[in-house]
Amino acid sequence: MPYKLKDHICRFCKMFALDDAAVPKALFEAEAVKPDLKGFPYPLPSKKSDYSCSVKIGNIEWFGASNGLTRYDSEAERYEDIVMYFSAPRDLLDNNIKALLPEGENLWVLTDTGVTFIEMRMVGAEEKADILRAESEKYVDRRGMKSQKHLREGRNLDSILPYGHSDNDGCFTATYAMGELFRYAVYKKEKGAEHPDTLLARKYALRSTEATLLLAHITGRGDGFVARTYLCPDEPVPDDGIFFRKNGDTAVCLETTCSKEWDCVGAEIYCGAPIPERLSKLYTDLGYSHDGIVYKADTSSDEITTHFLFFKFVHDILGAEDPELDKIVIDTCKGLMNHIIDNGYILRDFTGKATSWAKWNEEYFVTDYGYVDACLNSSEVLMYHLVTMDITGEKGKWLESYEHLINDRHYDDYAAKHFDRLFQCSIAGEFEFTEDIMYGDHMLACLSYFGLGILEKDPVRLEKYRNGFRSWRTSLEREHNPGYDLPFKIACPDDEIDFEALATWFYRTNASRLAAGVSLTSRHDVAVKTLQAGNKEISVLLPPDERFISKYDRNPVALVNEDSGGITCVESAYVYGYAYWMGRYYGFFE
Amino acid sequence: MKNKIHLIGNAHLDPIWLWRWQEGCGEVLQTFRSAVDRIKEYKGFIFTCSSVSYYKWVEEIDPELFEEIRKLVKKGKWVPVNGWWVQPDCNMPDAESFARQALYSQLYYHEKFGTICKTGYNVDSFGQNAMLPQFLNQGGMKCYVMMRPDKNENKEMPENLFWWDSPDGSRVLTYRIPTGYGESGINAIKNAISVMEERAENTGHGMMLFYGVGNHGGGPSKGDIEYLMNLMDEEGYEHIEFSSPDDFFNENCTGLFDVPSWGDEMQHHASGCYSATGLVKQLNRKAENWLVSAEKWNSVAARISNLPAATKAFGDAWKEVCFNQFHDILCGCSIMEAYDDVRDAMGYAMTIAAKEENKAMLKIAGFVNTWLDGVSDTVSCNERHHCRNLNFPRPVIVFNPLSYEVENAVRTYHPSARVTDCDGNDVLFQNVRSSRSNDSHLDTEFIAKVPALGYATYWLWHADSDVGEFEKPASSLKCDGLTIENKFIKVAFDEATGGISSIINKEDGSEYIGGETCIPTVVDNSKPDTWAHNIFKFDTTIGTMKLDSIEVVENGDARIVVRTKHVYNGSYLKQDFILAENSKVLRVKCKSLWQEDLTILKMPVTLTGNNPISTYEIPGAYIKRPCNGEEEPALTWGDVTADGKGLAIISDSKYSYDCIGNTLRLTLIRNCIFADHYSDRPAADFNYTDEGISRYEYAIYPHSGEAENSGIQRIAAAFNARLVAIPVGYHKGTMPLRESFISIDKENVALMSFKFCEDGSGDAVIRVRETNGKRTKCAIVCDILDAGFWSDFRPFEIKTFRINAEGYVTETNFLEGVTD
Repeated sequence: MPYKLKDHICRFCKMFALDDAAVPKALFEAEAVKPDLKGFPYPLPSKKSDYSCSVKIGNIEWFGASNGLTRYDSEAERYEDIVMYFSAPRDLLDNNIKALLPEGENLWVLTDTGVTFIEMRMVGAEEKADILRAESEKYVDRRGMKSQKHLREGRNLDSILPYGHSDNDGCFTATYAMGELFRYAVYKKEKGAEHPDTLLARKYALRSTEATLLLAHITGRGDGFVARTYLCPDEPVPDDGIFFRKNGDTAVCLETTCSKEWDCVGAEIYCGAPIPERLSKLYTDLGYSHDGIVYKADTSSDEITTHFLFFKFVHDILGAEDPELDKIVIDTCKGLMNHIIDNGYILRDFTGKATSWAKWNEEYFVTDYGYVDACLNSSEVLMYHLVTMDITGEKGKWLESYEHLINDRHYDDYAAKHFDRLFQCSIAGEFEFTEDIMYGDHMLACLSYFGLGILEKDPVRLEKYRNGFRSWRTSLEREHNPGYDLPFKIACPDDEIDFEALATWFYRTNASRLAAGVSLTSRHDVAVKTLQAGNKEISVLLPPDERFISKYDRNPVALVNEDSGGITCVESAYVYGYAYWMGRYYGFFE
Repeated sequence: MKNKIHLIGNAHLDPIWLWRWQEGCGEVLQTFRSAVDRIKEYKGFIFTCSSVSYYKWVEEIDPELFEEIRKLVKKGKWVPVNGWWVQPDCNMPDAESFARQALYSQLYYHEKFGTICKTGYNVDSFGQNAMLPQFLNQGGMKCYVMMRPDKNENKEMPENLFWWDSPDGSRVLTYRIPTGYGESGINAIKNAISVMEERAENTGHGMMLFYGVGNHGGGPSKGDIEYLMNLMDEEGYEHIEFSSPDDFFNENCTGLFDVPSWGDEMQHHASGCYSATGLVKQLNRKAENWLVSAEKWNSVAARISNLPAATKAFGDAWKEVCFNQFHDILCGCSIMEAYDDVRDAMGYAMTIAAKEENKAMLKIAGFVNTWLDGVSDTVSCNERHHCRNLNFPRPVIVFNPLSYEVENAVRTYHPSARVTDCDGNDVLFQNVRSSRSNDSHLDTEFIAKVPALGYATYWLWHADSDVGEFEKPASSLKCDGLTIENKFIKVAFDEATGGISSIINKEDGSEYIGGETCIPTVVDNSKPDTWAHNIFKFDTTIGTMKLDSIEVVENGDARIVVRTKHVYNGSYLKQDFILAENSKVLRVKCKSLWQEDLTILKMPVTLTGNNPISTYEIPGAYIKRPCNGEEEPALTWGDVTADGKGLAIISDSKYSYDCIGNTLRLTLIRNCIFADHYSDRPAADFNYTDEGISRYEYAIYPHSGEAENSGIQRIAAAFNARLVAIPVGYHKGTMPLRESFISIDKENVALMSFKFCEDGSGDAVIRVRETNGKRTKCAIVCDILDAGFWSDFRPFEIKTFRINAEGYVTETNFLEGVTD
């Protein structure tokens, strides 16, 4: 039975200056009624003695304190909704609540530096996906890529900077694309191919799909090498890696701190391989040519892993109806797979050597770093093979390589050793194992075992992969992230996941990805834990609207805000769309 | 390059076993002296030693020697291991005891040596409960050395080096000693080296070889050390070196190899040890419960009044309990004389508990407003104490140490005419036969309902008061011949055997009894030694006790009591089967006189249904085990469930069960010769571990569904940590007649302890655990600390929180953040 996600309250907070004419005068004259909280049955985000004002709107009580606002609904259906916390800068301009004034069901809040109007609106899970997609398409999109954008002015989405890239544009865009592909497939089935919603879904799915595929061709190397991202000539080149500027058939390495360290400034590499026109239109339609395009090299396994699972779903969902696109996908997949196999299971960079983080070879697995990475990386590369065989319908070289990795190199046996090796390192390094987690690896593990789980038919191998996924649950499970839990359930259907916790995640995700943070350090109702190496976590996973906004690559119980820019950053909606539409596509949710 | 053999010089020290503690203390002093001398004499030699209690003896008696050891620790020549007070039995102490083992020990190590132990070390303990990885992790240890059970006793467990996981997700890198903990003499060491070399070759990792004279101390001899040093000088032996467990684990953690993992308990060795010498078991359970409760009340009182926190006194008491959890003590396999010392030490601990609890409760009670207008006028010189005040009811405050509301019968030592609660509602009571012969011969038992870690005030009119007419609350209790019932259960006794022939659970209306129940069974114990080495089942029945009498001795509104007496040769067992109003359990109060040498007395309950599964409480969790008749260790309860129905036996002092098919048996008595090692018994006038009079209680709990979902955890806890009723005076006060100080909103999260931090900061410490094996989020509200917070729990996870004066909370571990 699918889980029914209902409409649910969602917080919408609008900020005003103190002298804004829209602010009712009565707010400044509102009497501060100190609440009587003796015997209050639940933990409160502020010290009881700190609450200085309160109002009651129907069954809902609001308590204001010097470190934020508390909403109390004694009759809330869901446990997490009984006590809610509102804090700066996400919900308030600052945390010192001076006065509260009801307006209908809504609330005006006066703080030291401004006023917030809080509206608790019922929003459906799908409606939230629409809102978030609209925000990403309008503000985050960069020629189809969807990672994040920065703002000139805090909170002002209209002040968006036109440029800005992410180190993992391909990874985040591919995930966004998968979410929209799932949406399209669901709408097509439920509403029909010609329904406006379906057509719109297809449009957005195609745009981010083409943007992702372009990264596999933009280098012009013609050897399957995938770029992390690319920039048009008028975009500033950031100083955070290795960049090549294309000119004719030759690309030249630009001067950055990294390229100077690597002593490769001015290095040249071929870039004349043709780019499918359908993909290059993403920038040529804007008036750019191939010349002057800058791409980022030193690509990691993050990009490659996301690309491969993305290939699978583009092929499955759009392949039959768009043969041209399907051919591009299949050719791209084959090109990349050939690159990996022919180069001895590495991504070969312009240096002729492996990039820093795209190594799936045994030589890497016996190094100090590779020893722990082996469990994930071996599963990644096995997944690539299965996807390639699946979408090409070919065996040959792919099967030969797959069997070689399993029979001769025992790659399938690495999977379940992940937690053992991680823990072993934590003892040696005298830290908690959670302190050594690369949170971005969580997504890679989920993508890998998701792919292996749906594509491997051999029961013995499948069970090994499932055990690999289970090994990762040691650190994944506490996050209650549907983007992780649903792939787990798909790959390991007999295992249990907590759908109620997932529902909380959907219900309590904000309807905007403006990365304004929250005030955690002053909360009175959460315990703080200092881990062995000094990192700080909280002892409870808070609902998403009470913790910092990020991609899937951060520790959700970290004490400090680990967002990518606070009120001057807006994040991609892939985080929500990928999880929600996957759940719909696989029939987990109504 | 061969994998390394780490030579671990050590001396296994039993502070009590075939000798009393005074001799054990001397043995420690001599061994430590000897080890220091060897370190000075032999370059490179390293000595490893566990157990804080030994260091403390040396510090107190020979401070100069202790100072030398401190210096050697700093140089890495002397390596303290095991951040616990002793090497305890690892099946019977409860989770809080393991917390205290770590707390007092690691803080001592930290204070004296500037570091805590990273390696747990129980090389002789007789079995390993499944939660040890969590207890070790929470005590700051990520690695572990153990030996028992050995390969012959458990072939499924991994050998050598392996990961050991507990259900909460904790894990320790564990080394299972393959040979022995005290190899000594050239031949023994030579053979052990061969074994280790072979294993190092096969496993791909290094091995540890433990050498040195042990049990009664001693340590590595000059001959051992010189042999090893000569060997190390020979070509081809570069892989052998003096080392420590810490170095062994550090070195192997940086190796690139994989080891197996194990996610279960590690049993069985010495299956007789869960039942031998019932005295020490009873003392342990009682002391654990009493200290935890008393410290909670001390913490409450210290928070609301000027009563000082008794942190040091409780520490002193706990250290005695921790010491007496040493495996050869708690397992009941030491000499008879040692148990005189145990009784004294545990008495000391419990006296502290009693005194501190009484002080605290009276202090708290003093704040409760029990004043009744006009009451002072009525006290005459003939009515000097309140219990004889016939014009007013006497206030009795009932304290509940558990973190959830408890409804249970409580007793006061005077008869009553009427009992009301603090809202003026009449409550059920019964005047019952007291233990005294003078005065009225009657006590009052009434049904009290008390909030979470809180108190409730009841008003008792003396039996001689004129209370006039009042409407008694309805009671569901009924007695029809030998069939008794309340609203939850109906129990029928068999007139011929004195056993229980039927239990109907009114929740589902079905019969739960499928065979012999509560007919005490006598089992042969002539072959096993005290430990029951190499014997895993006690299944040779030699008889059943015969019914001597059965009668209904009480039949009232609050409870019905059926008394049976069974006899066997010159022994008897009296049982009072007590069914109280609103109780889901049938409580059984036992008194036995046992005079049967080399026998075991077991109490069976037999369930209906098919495909039985047995479930047992273990420290900090429960565990499922096969119903194969093997003797199993458990804490306060064991359970057999089949076809959606279950019968649990709850105990106030026993630790040993077996389950054969649908029959679960609690081992009441195991009467062995003291310290009878491998049954080598020259003719003598032996003394026996469990002969004579003893008193204990158990209860039977029929329930539907799986044991873990039946509420058994709460019921068993309330059976062991009972409500306490304190008669108080009339006085004005600032606190209400009913109050709760700490509450938790989820049934499967329980408060373990509430204390003050050992660092004297005044911060409060509360320890909480998940009891049902499920991930949970809960709210913990501590109004008394001006604190309240949310927390997630993994299955069976224990969390320790430290709360400062402002009510801000940090999560720490058993060490309370003191060693950070």
